[in-house]
Amino acid sequence: MLISLNWIKKYVDIDIENDKLVELIGARLVEVEEAIDQTHKYDNIFAVEVKYCEAIEGTHLHLCKIDDGGKAKDVERDENGYVQVMCGAPNVHEGMFAAWIAPGAIVPQTYRDDEPFVIGMRKMLKKYDSYGMMAGADELDLGDDHSGIVELNPEGIKPGDDFAKLFELDDIILDIENKSLTHRPDTFGIIGFAREVAGILDKPFKTPEWLDLANTTAKNDKATKLDIEIADQTLCPRYTALVLDMNSESKKQYLSLQDTLLARSGMRPIDPIVDATNYLMLLTGQPLHAFDYDKFTEVGGAKTPKIIVRAAKKGEKLELLDGKEIELIESDIVITSNDKPVALAGAMGGKNTEIDANTKRVILESATFSLFNLRKTQMSHGIFSEAITRFTKGQPAGQTLPVALEFAKMLANFELVATFDEYPGGYEPERVTVSLDRINNLLGTNYSAAKIEKTLQNVEFATKLTKDEITVTVPYWRTDIHIPEDVIEEVGRLNGFDNIAPVLPLHATSDPNKMLQLKTRIRNNLSARGANEVLTYSFVHGDLMQKVGQDPKNAYRIVNSISPDLQYIRQSILPSLLDKSYGNLRAGYEKFALFEMNQVYTRTADVDEDGVPNTNYQLAFLFVDQKSSSNYYLAKKYLAQLLEAFGIAFRLEPFKATKDAQFAYYEPKRSASIYAGDQCIGHLGEVKASVSRGFKLPQSTAGFELSLDSLVALAQDVQLKDRRISQYPSVSRDITLELPLDRNYAEIEQSLRQILADAGLIYKLVPTSIYRPDGADAKKLSFHIDFAHPDKTMTKAEIQAIMEKLEQTK
Amino acid sequence: MSSVEESKIASLKAQLKQLNTEYAKIKDLPAEKRADFGKEMNQKKQQIMAEIAAAEAAAAEADVEALDITAPCDLNGEMPEFLTADFGSRHPLMTELDRVTAIYQSMGFDIVESRQLDDEYHMFDSLNFAKAHPARDNFDTFRTEEGFIPPAHTSTMQNRVLKAYKHKLDEGQAIAVAVPGRVYRNEDLDATHEHTFYQCEGVYVSETCTLGNMLGILREFFEKYYGQKLNIATQPGYFPFTEPSLEFKIEKPACIGGKKGDFLEMLGCGMIHPNVLKMAGIDPTKYHGFAWGGGIDRLVMLRYQLDDVRHFEAAKLDFLKEFSC
Repeated sequence: MLISLNWIKKYVDIDIENDKLVELIGARLVEVEEAIDQTHKYDNIFAVEVKYCEAIEGTHLHLCKIDDGGKAKDVERDENGYVQVMCGAPNVHEGMFAAWIAPGAIVPQTYRDDEPFVIGMRKMLKKYDSYGMMAGADELDLGDDHSGIVELNPEGIKPGDDFAKLFELDDIILDIENKSLTHRPDTFGIIGFAREVAGILDKPFKTPEWLDLANTTAKNDKATKLDIEIADQTLCPRYTALVLDMNSESKKQYLSLQDTLLARSGMRPIDPIVDATNYLMLLTGQPLHAFDYDKFTEVGGAKTPKIIVRAAKKGEKLELLDGKEIELIESDIVITSNDKPVALAGAMGGKNTEIDANTKRVILESATFSLFNLRKTQMSHGIFSEAITRFTKGQPAGQTLPVALEFAKMLANFELVATFDEYPGGYEPERVTVSLDRINNLLGTNYSAAKIEKTLQNVEFATKLTKDEITVTVPYWRTDIHIPEDVIEEVGRLNGFDNIAPVLPLHATSDPNKMLQLKTRIRNNLSARGANEVLTYSFVHGDLMQKVGQDPKNAYRIVNSISPDLQYIRQSILPSLLDKSYGNLRAGYEKFALFEMNQVYTRTADVDEDGVPNTNYQLAFLFVDQKSSSNYYLAKKYLAQLLEAFGIAFRLEPFKATKDAQFAYYEPKRSASIYAGDQCIGHLGEVKASVSRGFKLPQSTAGFELSLDSLVALAQDVQLKDRRISQYPSVSRDITLELPLDRNYAEIEQSLRQILADAGLIYKLVPTSIYRPDGADAKKLSFHIDFAHPDKTMTKAEIQAIMEKLEQTK
Repeated sequence: MSSVEESKIASLKAQLKQLNTEYAKIKDLPAEKRADFGKEMNQKKQQIMAEIAAAEAAAAEADVEALDITAPCDLNGEMPEFLTADFGSRHPLMTELDRVTAIYQSMGFDIVESRQLDDEYHMFDSLNFAKAHPARDNFDTFRTEEGFIPPAHTSTMQNRVLKAYKHKLDEGQAIAVAVPGRVYRNEDLDATHEHTFYQCEGVYVSETCTLGNMLGILREFFEKYYGQKLNIATQPGYFPFTEPSLEFKIEKPACIGGKKGDFLEMLGCGMIHPNVLKMAGIDPTKYHGFAWGGGIDRLVMLRYQLDDVRHFEAAKLDFLKEFSC
């Protein structure tokens, strides 16, 4: 939204620097994206009188001599002091006043370009000197019209007047980020914005009298008939219509201040009626629409116009002003002439009732509509006009009549003949009472009753003060004020939240979050062992699930996903890691480990007491090695040390698939389920050959997954692990046991440990190799063992006894 | 592969060959019968090919050698070794979340993680969103078939946190909780927009807290985070669940290349709307509070001068190794 500061200044005295003002607006109302400085945009542009004008035969050019009041420098002048300028516009004529861009000045149209165009002296038709240029509305950046040059009203101006001064163009334009004003329809008009500026500057604001509800009532002219029927007042709380008759031909159009204000607000002058509706919309936030009365009546087929406002019917069609025919949807609101659609309410008028050069009688609509319906209209038909932008903020019903009546005063050649106003709900001002203590207690301020009252009065709240409380009557344009906190916000905001001292409160200490602590420890543990933590999307493609053997039916499906790649909520994390591995292999990493900790939701899991799916925290770890044919033991090594680090006793059992195929990608013959007590806390193993092939990964790619919910319950903060060392000499031995091929390793290791523990020894046991000689039907397990007694030096015999026991293990 | 499987696959392949021969007869058929014949043959062919694929997969799986799941290494294999430590890395977003939550903990805040799938009530209703608030439209949030929502902000946890910690108020203490988590917006991906990102929420309620306290806590947080004194500024904002609502800014710290007068919008905040407290069973006439929420991704981008958010969820080692231990 573009706001002219000069326009604002018509309603409020601003006595601080522009920079400071922009800063205050940003801090107390809304973000100013940019303050566009136009104070020099129209420098060296003058009002000039065309003293002599001669058409040059065979060309479209005129040779003109202009009186610039002697203002321009570095120009050649004739004996009368006039400057020669060639002009191609068909409307140039002797005696007219035009806007002349003097040599050396920037053409305003190019003012914001990287290289603005500076006009100079040009030689035309090889012989005529032409100084500067007489400008059209487009070159002045005041309109789109390129059909001729701008003509100025000669009344009250003299040659050489500064063009900028005449039209108050030395302006700053504020580009406002209006997304954060969605709840403030009043600030979408200059008057409302100016009111806020006054409040920010601690100045009382006075709304123009014509916008005061007390001054406006509808007067129906009995002779002119018009019926308004609102089918549903939630769709249209108020509908005001004026009938205006043309009483004289329109006068010659000169450039006006109003034209330049429209241009500075990002709109364009079009014709007197449309311009007046746009001007008032920019000024008050209230969009207006003009229908051709005769066309309107004809479409309806009745003698007198009958306006019916109702919800659109499915399949109804309407040709809009821009020539597009749209098919209406049921949430659209339509204006109809005797039930025949003539306008898409709030969005755009219809072609069949458009005003044109022959319009003699006008129906002016000033109404309010349901912002919720209009938001849908906006989205479904893709209409983002200035009008609907304002309507979708919920313009107050109070202003429809005052703004319409102001419109009637603006057109020189139309007069008001009748006023109709349908306002079934009527208006009752809202009152809010808030205690003064609560204001200060919530903000952390010490504002006096008088200061609070003045702050609110500045922006035209009527106030009533008692000893402890203030009661405000909410002005009709403040549709956002309903509860005490809304009033508190006004007091804090208008006085500046930045003026409130930041103070730390005192409160108790906090408890650690065990899940977060666990994840941090895992993160540190695995990354310290060369693994890389990754984050991947919670959403996956249905194909990915099928590729790993999961059933998409068990996954939550996103109905409005951005792409099929993100259509399902993943059932486990490992498939995402499988999916991301090939890219890393291709990038030249031959051996790496990825891990991720995140939440997982499946349709097969339970819901919590709120009926929301339970959250499962999971850790997934994947080891990829281009060159190795067996990564199971690598993944197992990472797993074992991790669980040991948390003091979790675990054992590996043959892989057991879950019923819902959540972990269907593990190769059962080369995988295990991880147990702590009788609780399965995760899975470890190589993925199926078909899976690794599907992801273009080495066949023995392996990983593990752990339920972090289980881990957080099992992990010990204080570990009861024996970390004593003996003061007595320790014995270091290697042993090798020969065992049948199918003998389970863990049982052997457990037996060895048991022997050492039973003897009360402090020991360390490390497997060193598992060897099967060629063709043998036995394997050899080798261990390195260090042990010592905690209380004495062991004798040879004692050592011998222990070694014998160890060596007999089978 | 066992001989049974081998012969099964061989027989299937023979059938396929036979089928191809029959298929050649299509040219002898009258034109009007060709389409149906072709269709039928094609179906048969597809079926046999699927059977071959299944048999081959089964055979491949039958070939898999079982291993001793309890052993430390393969038979005759080498003892596995960890990767070298300097190869490893923690994800920068997670490191940042750890850093952020550690500061909040030191400031007396409990930490509750945000969930990644929630419902309409927690995401919108309990936060005083009007029924037709535009953010409810499909344009911003993802939805599952069941109507669940991968949350678009960590505020989805506010109602739960207020309920869970309400007992603190009865004990005469304050509710002080920070809520980090992963959130989702239905947005197209580019260098500055991710549909998946991280936020951290703060919730504070007591009998006496003020908007001044909120500014105090937020300034303290960012001063601890950047390790220096900071100038702060605010701007009015609008959120359905706070009243007043503000945007909170800090003067860009020198350590990340800030200059004087250069402000960064860090988060949205405000005094918790009385309806939000009411819906959590807290009496808004007795207690009030404030809440805030801001992005974590942006903090990381600023800290490491990153210019593309898409790196975060791409799992590329080239990027991750920049954050090696």
